[in-house]
Amino acid sequence: MGINIKDLMINPERFFRQALGEKEELRLPGLIIFLGAAIAAVSGYLAGSLSARMMEPVLQGMTPFIMAVAVIAAFFGTFVAWVIWAGVLYLLSRAFKGSGSFSRCLEVVGYGFVPQIIGMLVTVIAALVYLPKVIVPPLTSAAMQDPQVIKEATSALMHDPAMMAFTEITAVVSIIFLLWSASIWIFGLKQARNLSLKNAAICVMIPVILFIVFQAYSLAGA
Amino acid sequence: MKILIRLILLTLALLALTGEATALATSAEITAANNVYVSNVTYDPGSFFTGDAGTVTVAVTNGNANQSIVANHATFGFDNNFQLTSGSYDTSSTVGPLQTRTYTFSVITQSADGSYYPTFSLNIGDATSIYYRGLVKVDNTPIVATLIDKPDAFTPATKNTLSLQLANPREDDVKNVIVDVDGGSGADILPATQYIGVLSSGASTVVNFTVTPNVETTLNVTVKYDNGDNHHSVDLQIPVVFTTDKMQADPVMSNIVIALTNGTCDVTGDITNAGLSNANGVTVTSLSPAIPQEPDRNYVIGTLKPDDFGSFEITFTVPDGTTSVPLQLSYKDSDGNILSSVQNIDLTQTTAQPNSQPSMLPVLVVVIIAVIFVGGWYVYLRRHKE
Repeated sequence: MGINIKDLMINPERFFRQALGEKEELRLPGLIIFLGAAIAAVSGYLAGSLSARMMEPVLQGMTPFIMAVAVIAAFFGTFVAWVIWAGVLYLLSRAFKGSGSFSRCLEVVGYGFVPQIIGMLVTVIAALVYLPKVIVPPLTSAAMQDPQVIKEATSALMHDPAMMAFTEITAVVSIIFLLWSASIWIFGLKQARNLSLKNAAICVMIPVILFIVFQAYSLAGA
Repeated sequence: MKILIRLILLTLALLALTGEATALATSAEITAANNVYVSNVTYDPGSFFTGDAGTVTVAVTNGNANQSIVANHATFGFDNNFQLTSGSYDTSSTVGPLQTRTYTFSVITQSADGSYYPTFSLNIGDATSIYYRGLVKVDNTPIVATLIDKPDAFTPATKNTLSLQLANPREDDVKNVIVDVDGGSGADILPATQYIGVLSSGASTVVNFTVTPNVETTLNVTVKYDNGDNHHSVDLQIPVVFTTDKMQADPVMSNIVIALTNGTCDVTGDITNAGLSNANGVTVTSLSPAIPQEPDRNYVIGTLKPDDFGSFEITFTVPDGTTSVPLQLSYKDSDGNILSSVQNIDLTQTTAQPNSQPSMLPVLVVVIIAVIFVGGWYVYLRRHKE
């Protein structure tokens, strides 16, 4: 049950021809997702520390709770994202009369997640560099009574120069590696759902482009 | 001749009878004078300061039940301790049986502290005089003004209550006691003048007033009072020196970050209440030469409890060449007094910040990447199709 990473990354067509020619296997894709979830949990811990610093004056002693919520959400969110991506690709491929099981889609999305693990590692490094430089505006108990103050404090946090740099870097990096994943998914979906390469590309590119547009919109409005 | 001798003898006999009668009348007057006495002596004031003027009223009573007396020439003094300023009584007057006649004299004394016995004298008829020596004291002990309560510390613009105790250790009452407090232009006093009235011998009273100092100063307290009709006063100086109130709020600025964005200084920082009382309405603003700008001309943090802290952000512009700008931190204490402190920030530590508006460069990068990706796939698919 080996995995040829080189083929997966640079020659996914050959990789999936071999991988999908065998029986459905979700353990390896699941392990890849688990690895991604673990890295996402580290990112969640670093991002949660900002929220904890912001809320510290009013939620003294709650820091561990806030951190735990951030870590758990990031960890399980990765698994949820796996299922959602697989579901979206499965439904879109049905429009092109694709055949093949949902498990195959899960398998393809899981394998295609490998580039994003690299992107997550870059994001963690960026977080370690930039997040300590972020000036966090602490919220007082009086400020917590005023939604406008909370909004302004959150805005101030997001407009912090270090925070903005971190946000821009992570957005660009995540999109680059998402596109790399998308290339893998196209070949995987072609094999898994018996689609033409063109239809598989359309099925993958629709949600990916929508996601990129959403990211670009978020960056422009940040 | 015999007739002439008889007339002479008769004349002599009449003369003898007349002389005996005269001798009997003088004896009755003396007897009557023995029953005349000084029934009361009153000094006003009851006790004199050196230099005080006053009055002494002497009541003379005719103790005879059936005989009037004729009083002549009443006078008072006879020494240099108490000098008569009103003159003596030089006219005759009749005092009926069991009647009392009063004589009032104005006097002044220049004597030192001590007990004195000035003499009152009164001639009664042509027969005799009575003399009376009464005790009067000269006592230069003033009334005592003592500061009995004041705040632990004076701080600028803070209203404080002070308490004075006024005590009268003299043997007589003093009247028209008035307390004047003068803080000059350095302090607001309320009330600046208080009328107390009479302060009885051995009594004390407490006078309260509030002081709101603006600068360090000295309060001049003057307690005026009258001893009889003589004006006197005592002074008391109360220094008002600003010190730190151990219980007051103590907002402290820290974590100051100065950023220059599009020519506008944006200063952020934290304010922590390091004191032991609430700091209400904590506000931060910039002072000249800074010119406050929108959106944060002033920043109101609100109430900071002890050990609580809040962040602030203010924006301003400064003239070219400005290296330092004062930031004013003000808050209100529990009495509503506004307390302020100023802290200079060094603009040479300013870091030029990029425009805080989101840059379009990342968006452009994302779009380019997406276009390249889609284009690449388009070309790939066309070639693959061929």
